[in-house]
Amino acid sequence: MRTRGGILAANIIAGLALGYTVANIGFGDYGELNRMFTFQELRMFLAFAGAVAIIVVVFAALRVRRTPGRLHAGVIPGAILFGGGWAISGGCPAIPIVQVASGYLPALVTIAGIVVGIRLCRWANMRYFHLDSGSCER
Amino acid sequence: MTEYWPWWAGAAGLALTTINYAVTTDRSFGVSGAWDRVLHWRAERRVERVNEQFADERVLTAALAAATTDQFGAGSAPPAAHPAPDDDARTPRRDGRRPASPSPSLARLLPAPLVSQVALLLSIFVGGWIAAVTAGRFQLRLDMGDAFGQIVSDKPIEMIGALFVGGVLVGFGTRLAGGCSSGHGLNGCGRLQPVSIVATAVFFGTGVLVSFLLWKVI
Repeated sequence: MRTRGGILAANIIAGLALGYTVANIGFGDYGELNRMFTFQELRMFLAFAGAVAIIVVVFAALRVRRTPGRLHAGVIPGAILFGGGWAISGGCPAIPIVQVASGYLPALVTIAGIVVGIRLCRWANMRYFHLDSGSCER
Repeated sequence: MTEYWPWWAGAAGLALTTINYAVTTDRSFGVSGAWDRVLHWRAERRVERVNEQFADERVLTAALAAATTDQFGAGSAPPAAHPAPDDDARTPRRDGRRPASPSPSLARLLPAPLVSQVALLLSIFVGGWIAAVTAGRFQLRLDMGDAFGQIVSDKPIEMIGALFVGGVLVGFGTRLAGGCSSGHGLNGCGRLQPVSIVATAVFFGTGVLVSFLLWKVI
């Protein structure tokens, strides 16, 4: 699965599984998301934390290699902006796609905002930030 | 309408998706990275074309050896990095055609093909649609649900403004931070990467803070 076609197939499988799972957990439902962030209901938080715990154990057992990653100047400001935007719009980059697929048409506006934000980040990085890879320029 | 999954089923689903991808491709996937590459597809295609010229490690080595020979004479060419059998499919081709696939060590360093990133985003849509239809939750609507109306705004203009501003913050923030809930949250934290643990703690913490503000104050 490490050829071009294999990676394409893996992405299709991952996308289908991610969209199906995220929708069935309820991440596309703004009310559920707000209840998670305000600790009124821990179901979605436990789903995410439980997934991370399983992945940590399996990756350690399989000795999955680490990918390069560096704590650069953009990480914390970027995470703050992302967290705020997620709480306001109810969408991380995958969720508005799932929301539109579930019939929430205004989520198209969230997608438009994400498009503008991503393009703005790459432009700002080239002009002002000059952060290395792992940030705006992948 | 079917209820949402219990937490353990959601955890198993997310973990299985992430583990399957990592094991089969030896890579991580990230949705914000896919968005970024698809939105800058012209620049990404240029990078892919350059990478394709040097997709085979042996071709690259042969090109370097030829250049060294031209510059310093026949006795100075470096040995091939990875000797292979004579009939190896990765033997440098002199007919100018591209090799069938990059050598494994080099392929790991190259970004996933652009078309696979488009496929990832489209597949998320299809997967979400299948889930909504099979669970009886699919309904075309012009609002974001009762909770959004109560917590953020039920006025159409304010709703559109909040969604757009939120989307810009998500897009800008995820690229500035180098990942989102899938890239940093699942793949990075799963590998115990310090940068991903910090990013995930910060974006979850900010999400908690802003959600409390929206719920209790604003």
